Parts: sequence; C-alpha cells; structure tokens
Amino acid sequence: MFSSSQFEDSSPLAGGGFMSSQLGGSTPSSARIRDMQGLVPATVKQISEASQSGDEKSSFIIDGVDVANVTVVGMVFNKNSRSSDVRFHLDDGTGRIECIRWVTERLDTGDLDALEDGTYVRVNGHLQTFQSKRQLNAFSVRLVTNFDEVTCHYLECIHFHLQNSKVQSKADEAPDLSFSTPVRGASNGHHLASTNDFSMQYNDDGLKSFDKLVLNYLQQPSNIDREMGIHVDELSQQLKSPLEKIKDAIEFLEREGLVYSSIDDYHYKAVEGL
Amino acid sequence: MDTSSPAAFVNGGLLRMHVGRKVRTVIQVTRSDAGSVMGKSTDGCQLVVRGSPPAPLTSYVEVIGVAENESSIRAELWTNFGDSFDASNYDQLCQLANGELKHLFL
Repeated sequence: MFSSSQFEDSSPLAGGGFMSSQLGGSTPSSARIRDMQGLVPATVKQISEASQSGDEKSSFIIDGVDVANVTVVGMVFNKNSRSSDVRFHLDDGTGRIECIRWVTERLDTGDLDALEDGTYVRVNGHLQTFQSKRQLNAFSVRLVTNFDEVTCHYLECIHFHLQNSKVQSKADEAPDLSFSTPVRGASNGHHLASTNDFSMQYNDDGLKSFDKLVLNYLQQPSNIDREMGIHVDELSQQLKSPLEKIKDAIEFLEREGLVYSSIDDYHYKAVEGL
Repeated sequence: MDTSSPAAFVNGGLLRMHVGRKVRTVIQVTRSDAGSVMGKSTDGCQLVVRGSPPAPLTSYVEVIGVAENESSIRAELWTNFGDSFDASNYDQLCQLANGELKHLFL
C-alpha cells in the first residue's frame, strides 16, 4: 500500500517521475522527453501553475519538465457517480482539482463506491484541460490506509521539484535538507536521502547514487582519519542497507580506484587526493 | 480548479505564523472532551483543537481548520491518522513547507 510501490521496477510505471534526471541534463528539450515521463508527484498548486507545452497543448510543464501523468494524494469531495463516469474533487490542502474516472464496466468503480467526503485517496491520472479547466483523467484511485503515505507524497513532490529546479551538480545537495523517507523504521533521525527507490534512479558522474552514498560516507573527514578504515558492517548499519548491497558497492568503488581495503578485506577507506 | 483555500502545514511552533488562516496539522491526542481535544504537536507543543472530533479517535489525528491563536485551532475537518504515525517526518515536512518551498503549497 505504500506509495514507493509505484516506483518498483516491476511496475509499468517504473522510473516514476524521476526518469528525466537520467538524461543527465537539468532541463532537456521537452519534445523528446514527453514519451519518457512516468508518474510525477505533484501538489494541486503546482498543477494549477504548470504551463502548457507545445501547440497541441496536450501536456504540461512543471519545473521545466514535460508532465503528462501525475500522482496526487488528497481528500475526496463532491463525488458524483454516473453511468459513464465517476467524478469528484480532490483537495490536497493546496487546492482542488476535478478528477474523472471513466467507467467501462461496472466492476471498474468498485474502488470508488465506498468513498465518502473527506476520505484520503491517491489518484494517478493523466493531466488534461477541458473548457479551460485543468482536470485529472484518473486511471487509478486508491484508498490511503497508512497515513505516512500522505507525508511521503508531499516529500516526493518536494524532491521532484528540487531535483528539476537545481542544476544537476547541485542535486547532491538535496540530501542535506535532512528529510528522511518515512516508515521503513527510519525514525531515528537518519538524515541521508534514503537508499530507497527514488535515489536509485539518478546518475551522477557515472556512479549510481547508492555507490555515491557509500563513497561519501567513507570520504567524511572523520572517517578518513580512522586509520583502520571502516568495517563493512558499519557501512551496512549506518546506511541501513543489507550487507550484500554494501559489498557490491564497495567492489565497484574499488574497481574504480576510489576506495581500498585497509587492515583486512572487511575494512575500507576512501582514496584521498582525488 | 480551486486553489483559493489552501491550508498551511504547521506544527506547534509554526502555528503562530498563520493565526486567522487555514492550517493543517497532525497531533497526538492526549485528552479529548466534548467540544475539544488536547494533543501534542509533532514538535512537542501542547495544542487545543476545538470542534467535534470523530468517535472513536485514534492516537494521531489530522485536523484542518482555522488557527485561533498560537496554541489553538478551530477544526473543520478531522481525519484519524491511526495509532502509528511518523511524527518526526511530518514535522520536517512542516518545516520544509514553510521555508523556501512554500510556493509548492500556498
């Protein structure tokens, strides 16, 4: 039920709203990107302020990125069920947008029948304009059951925004804003942008973001000073990742000549002076 | 589309910045009477929320309403957020949403 499931590799929406950053540029030319956009997390306010792209006016631009599909979390109001469709307003605290779920068979609206005013849902849909009003053509409406999802959604909106409005080289600074991904037991104030689904998607200097996390940890001055090096168990614990993943990252970094083993095969240090 | 009545994310400390305006926050309920609920905000402040809470109330509840003063809200909407909720994450979200990222929300 947790929203990160939308970004799993097995999902048809894999890559989510972060695909654009894989292209390595801050604002790639829009026409090319249009086909590659996934599901972008956005607030209704962002949607209302998005400009429209191209002459066809069939997609929108948020933070310089072409966006066709969005995911929004908010409360349902004014639900209106008809034979051809179910409509409602989604209020996410930043504004309201009309959502339409077209009905093809009776079975389709099972998920919507039980919705009352004030219920929190996640809506995934295609942004469109109708009679100069923006609407969401919803292809999925799901009840929110774990409310950390609400917090997480807004954090994802912030993350997407920051990722696309800063220059690529500054993207690394985003983790300094000390927000942590909710739920996964990360409530002890661990301030790195977590190794979860979202950070795996972007590339920087050819290093996967997880490898970079490991490298950054080893490169911290306090760790550089530790003569014996850092044990892989410590890395696993500090970065909250399984040992296997840490070992893979270390192996890669070692091959690249960025880290080396110190007192034994379990202790590593970052190469200095690079 | 309507963006005319957004609610600002607040915690105890930020409430005073939005007195008289629509706000939203999550509190951990400490006491509930008819007509008002007392709770702890995500940054540890005592807040009073007036209105008619749903029954039963879970430990965490989100309220959306108008800030009356720096420690009290008149709630229009109540949503039970369950008995386990990551308050520190929400608190950090409040800070981000009131900082330089405000334009994404209000």
